[in-house]
Amino acid sequence: MSLNLLRRCARSLSTAAPSYPFSKIAVIPPAPATPPPAPLLQGKGLMAHLADTLPSADKLRLLKTYFSKRHPLRILPGSVLSVTMGHAPTQFTGVLLSVRRRGIDTSIVLRNVVNRIGVEMQVFVASPHLKDIKIVQRAGGGTGQGKTGKRMRRAKLFYLRDSPEKMSSISAGLRG
Amino acid sequence: MLRLWALKQRLPPSQCRTIRTTSSARAATAAAAKETTAPPEWTPNSVRTGLIARKRGMTAMWDDHGARYPVTVLQLENCQVTANITTVRSDGSEYHAVQVAASDRPEKTTTKQMLGHFNKAGVPPKRIVKEFPVTPDAHVPVGTTLSAIHFVPGQYVDVIANSVGKGFQGVMKRWHFKGLRASHGVSVSHRAAGATGAHQDPGRVWPGQKMAGRMGGKRITTQNLAVVRVDSALDLVFVRGCVPGVDDAQVMVRDAKKKMTDAAQHNYAKGLFEKILPKGLDSLPFPAGTKEMAKALPPVIAAPTLRRSPFLPRE
Repeated sequence: MSLNLLRRCARSLSTAAPSYPFSKIAVIPPAPATPPPAPLLQGKGLMAHLADTLPSADKLRLLKTYFSKRHPLRILPGSVLSVTMGHAPTQFTGVLLSVRRRGIDTSIVLRNVVNRIGVEMQVFVASPHLKDIKIVQRAGGGTGQGKTGKRMRRAKLFYLRDSPEKMSSISAGLRG
Repeated sequence: MLRLWALKQRLPPSQCRTIRTTSSARAATAAAAKETTAPPEWTPNSVRTGLIARKRGMTAMWDDHGARYPVTVLQLENCQVTANITTVRSDGSEYHAVQVAASDRPEKTTTKQMLGHFNKAGVPPKRIVKEFPVTPDAHVPVGTTLSAIHFVPGQYVDVIANSVGKGFQGVMKRWHFKGLRASHGVSVSHRAAGATGAHQDPGRVWPGQKMAGRMGGKRITTQNLAVVRVDSALDLVFVRGCVPGVDDAQVMVRDAKKKMTDAAQHNYAKGLFEKILPKGLDSLPFPAGTKEMAKALPPVIAAPTLRRSPFLPRE
């Protein structure tokens, strides 16, 4: 009890960060070091600035490398990914059907056939529940040029929903 | 400073906020104010001014439990007070308002009449000028620059803007009519309204009959949106949910009438002092959150997550 009292006194005496009198339970994130440039105050490039500022450092790295449009290590649709999550199902492996790029709201759709039932999962990349993404196989069966894999002729592979033979060929290539 | 109104006794009915305040009551409050020179404090019966912002876009955020929620980003563009309005109506009651203007515009595109009005207020010419009805204690000095710090994360706001224009639309989109069948003999009227009235009695179409016409582009109020984050460096207010209008549209943001103003007045009158403000809030910047106030406060403030985790089963 006295230790808590000492802690509260120390916090009130410290000049590290200004306190917020209107709400005791408000969260005060660390402030950016540099003041914002003038165009941002007029709204020019504001949403892009927020897309670069709002996610945490490791999520931003994910978004800028694996899920960017032009990075040499970007994941192409048709790759097989294995994601680890904090909520059920904790592990999900599937073919990447689409990457929906919306800055921090970027999401991917993975498709797999589990117990002869087609299952799709939309995973938001910036979600705190997403722990890890492993690339099981790059697109095109791993025989493509360079590290990204072979580019499919479509950005969104929704046609795989109607062709189980193509899905099984991807999984056969995986085991082979 | 915090919650002093909870310790005081209830105000007598003559000093409670009513829709129509008489000049005698105003004189009484003015005399009381002159006695003490302390800055005005928020009371549960006060109504603060609102702000004018620009809707910049939408994004998503994740709360402490990992649940995703959509947010709209609103940015203040040099929002300043241009006038304090006090009008005495013919029956003696008073109307008080704070006139706020935002978004600087070039002098050469501003009319001489408006230039004179802005010169009187000592502010640069603005694109939009709106007023917010307030209680007499909530007047703000003319020329004050308002800041995003005016809103407290965790409070609720109403956002008012012109909705997205949809042009001339048919009854199915405009009024959610069911239309007619796709086949079975229906000829060239699959999306039509069908009948518009009865027969010889009344023998006409009632005024207000729903028909095709211009849809959208009207003033819409979205109520009770939670403020989740406030950034006074960029003058941003993040509200949870959607807001009417296109991106970069001018919107008016004010304290929610239902969840803030009415709830505060009602709970104060009933003596439920814990329910006056939403959970976690101690007070509100009064009469307004200004740029000077923002300099002394942290630049970014976020609301905590108060709800239970939706990922854990309820017992």
